[in-house]
Amino acid sequence: MLQLFPSPDASPFGRRLKHSRGGRIPVTVVTGFLGAGKTTLIKRFLESAEGTGTAVVVNEFGETGIDAALLRECADEIVLLGNGCLCCTVRSDLQIALRKLHYERERGLAPHFQRILIETSGLADPAPILATFATDRALGGEFHLEAVVALVDAVLGPATLERAPEARKQAILADRLVLTKTDLAGEPAVGKLTAQLRALNPRAAIASAVDGALDPQFLLAGGKGARPAFLAAAEHGDGIQSFVLAEDAPVPWPAFEQTMDALVALRGPDLLRVKGLLDVQGCRGPVVVQYVQHLAHPPVELAAWPAGKRQSRLVFITRNLPEPAVTELFRAIRALSAGGGS
Amino acid sequence: MSPAKKPLRRKASDATAWNFKPLAQHELSGFGGMGEGMSIQIAKDGRRILWLAHESAPKNFTAVDVSDPKKPKIVVQTDLPQSYMRSNSLETCGNLMAVAYQCRNVGQQPAGFELFDISVPEKPRSVAFVDRSGPHSRGVHQLWFCDGEYVHMASGAADFQASHPLDDQCYQIFDVKNPSKPAEVGRWWMPGTRVGDAEPPPARHQKPLYDMGFRAHNTNVYPRRPDRCYLGYIDGGMFILDISDKARPKPVCRWDNSPPYHGFTHTILPLFERGLLVVTDESVVDRADDWPKLVWILDARDERNPVPISTCPMPNLNAFRGRGGRFGAHNIHENVPLPTAWQSDEVIIGTFFNGGLRAYDISNPYQPKEVAAFVPPAPPLSPAKSIQLNDVFVDEREIVYTVDRHAGGLYILEMDF
Repeated sequence: MLQLFPSPDASPFGRRLKHSRGGRIPVTVVTGFLGAGKTTLIKRFLESAEGTGTAVVVNEFGETGIDAALLRECADEIVLLGNGCLCCTVRSDLQIALRKLHYERERGLAPHFQRILIETSGLADPAPILATFATDRALGGEFHLEAVVALVDAVLGPATLERAPEARKQAILADRLVLTKTDLAGEPAVGKLTAQLRALNPRAAIASAVDGALDPQFLLAGGKGARPAFLAAAEHGDGIQSFVLAEDAPVPWPAFEQTMDALVALRGPDLLRVKGLLDVQGCRGPVVVQYVQHLAHPPVELAAWPAGKRQSRLVFITRNLPEPAVTELFRAIRALSAGGGS
Repeated sequence: MSPAKKPLRRKASDATAWNFKPLAQHELSGFGGMGEGMSIQIAKDGRRILWLAHESAPKNFTAVDVSDPKKPKIVVQTDLPQSYMRSNSLETCGNLMAVAYQCRNVGQQPAGFELFDISVPEKPRSVAFVDRSGPHSRGVHQLWFCDGEYVHMASGAADFQASHPLDDQCYQIFDVKNPSKPAEVGRWWMPGTRVGDAEPPPARHQKPLYDMGFRAHNTNVYPRRPDRCYLGYIDGGMFILDISDKARPKPVCRWDNSPPYHGFTHTILPLFERGLLVVTDESVVDRADDWPKLVWILDARDERNPVPISTCPMPNLNAFRGRGGRFGAHNIHENVPLPTAWQSDEVIIGTFFNGGLRAYDISNPYQPKEVAAFVPPAPPLSPAKSIQLNDVFVDEREIVYTVDRHAGGLYILEMDF
């Protein structure tokens, strides 16, 4: 933090924000396997009143840009990242595209759009996209990744989830899940798929959309799909699991930081996502922390706790890293810190 | 991998509400041309009354009940006695309100300021009228009143003859501890601007667009430093005055950005705890022909030598200048030291005429960052054919009030950042 000009109102983490996005541009990543209905869903959203002021970044294989062509009529601004997959070859293109969008918005060369939707290619692994927002300082300062929305085709989804690890990872890492083509699948199949998804990802809100018709709020920042993601633990297969650590007593920040530094150093690649609110000693509001593998987003303090209990809650999505190992590390470092008199 | 683009459906200058949530708009009975006086009183019955100055006649001031910010209701709206008058500025302190009266030409009356008892908001009762008319005076343009004791203002006077007609309003202090008998206790003007001064008159800014006058504008005084006046002096830049002896104000420093900039220094907001000053220019020429008019951040850790360290980033000139009317900086929320005013030294909220209302995070004062913007559509019947947001006030509930200069009246918003 800047040592000059300190504000007595400032938190150790900067200005207290009304929400973790602060003044940054919200980004929603829409993912889902090939044919899950992403373009249809986005088109319907753009046509809704809530969709006004949306810039869209489309990533698709092939040079033709069919999805981008479909969306062209209704987006505020559209950028096509073709012939590659966001999670691998095209990531720098995503960074360049977002920086350019921001530059043009600030300089009046593009409309003052209010949000960005990124449509990933069907094969994309969302994790590297999440990491992009943490690694690129320019992007992290201007954009806030609000939600990953994964679409699952109710007809072909169950088989795809069995067969394709990319599809499972999309569902596991999603903040919100949308079942598509439920009218074609029939109720029993939808029920079965819902249970399958719940097992993979108990944290995400689930909605269904027929022909792209979804309450637009589900895609919006703070919309209906947003909810605290602190539910039960789950085993997802592929060695992926999720669990929640909760702590009633205020957490000393140095001990937390040391623990996370140790975890990142030892098991960074296996920390697929860590996200939560911390009750940090000396802070009025909750501190939002987020990690993607070895990368930490800058923490921010919110102006007030959301309704409910003032309690630290951290959700971990890890690979081959069980809860007891993490809990033990937290306990050990905290004991050391206390013993060290810090 | 070439990015594909389409022609833009919307323009950068289109109406927008970015991180401000509009709650209500009130056109104020068709008299929605508002000045730069906004102040909140909590009435005896608990109602929250927003007092608003009009930019020009026929209306004097309007009180709006904003207890429910989504349902503003007019409580009272008053008329000026003369069409050539304007009551551009007002402030309230408890149940006392001070209103500035300025006339179009020197010598016209009534010109001065008036104190009202507003304990019954529906029936403002005049307590005193202070005449500041004179052969060389247009009266009072702006006033500051928040301690219940002194009115600080930019005014002419019967015994003040400026060396140039545009330099007619100097800084004046009135003791209003007895509200029915206000008495002048001090004044200060930039040396050389009064006939008879030993110093030569200041060099004029370039005519015709930039020569706006060496005279006082905002006269902010805060209880944190009751011995300091933070004085905007239009083409004279800004001054910090030592007013520990109100009878003899003395300059502590002057900072002037012009030339090469184009003057009209308007407001100085001190952020005491941080050692910063926020200084605004006012854009006064249509089509932004006096561009750039900015919000400046100054390092004032040593008040004798303020140093500019940044400006708040403005939206694109070419996107806005052709929208109609003015585009550029003007008023900011001034942390008025009253319990009904929001206090922040990390966020600056200002009005930029057709550039709307903008909020800046200055946590890092070297890199102010825009975090919110509100540009409503052009109000119907506005001669400017665009929004011209003129002033802003934020209450302690963090509800934002902003007004249009010509027709749109009052806009009420919530901050969402």
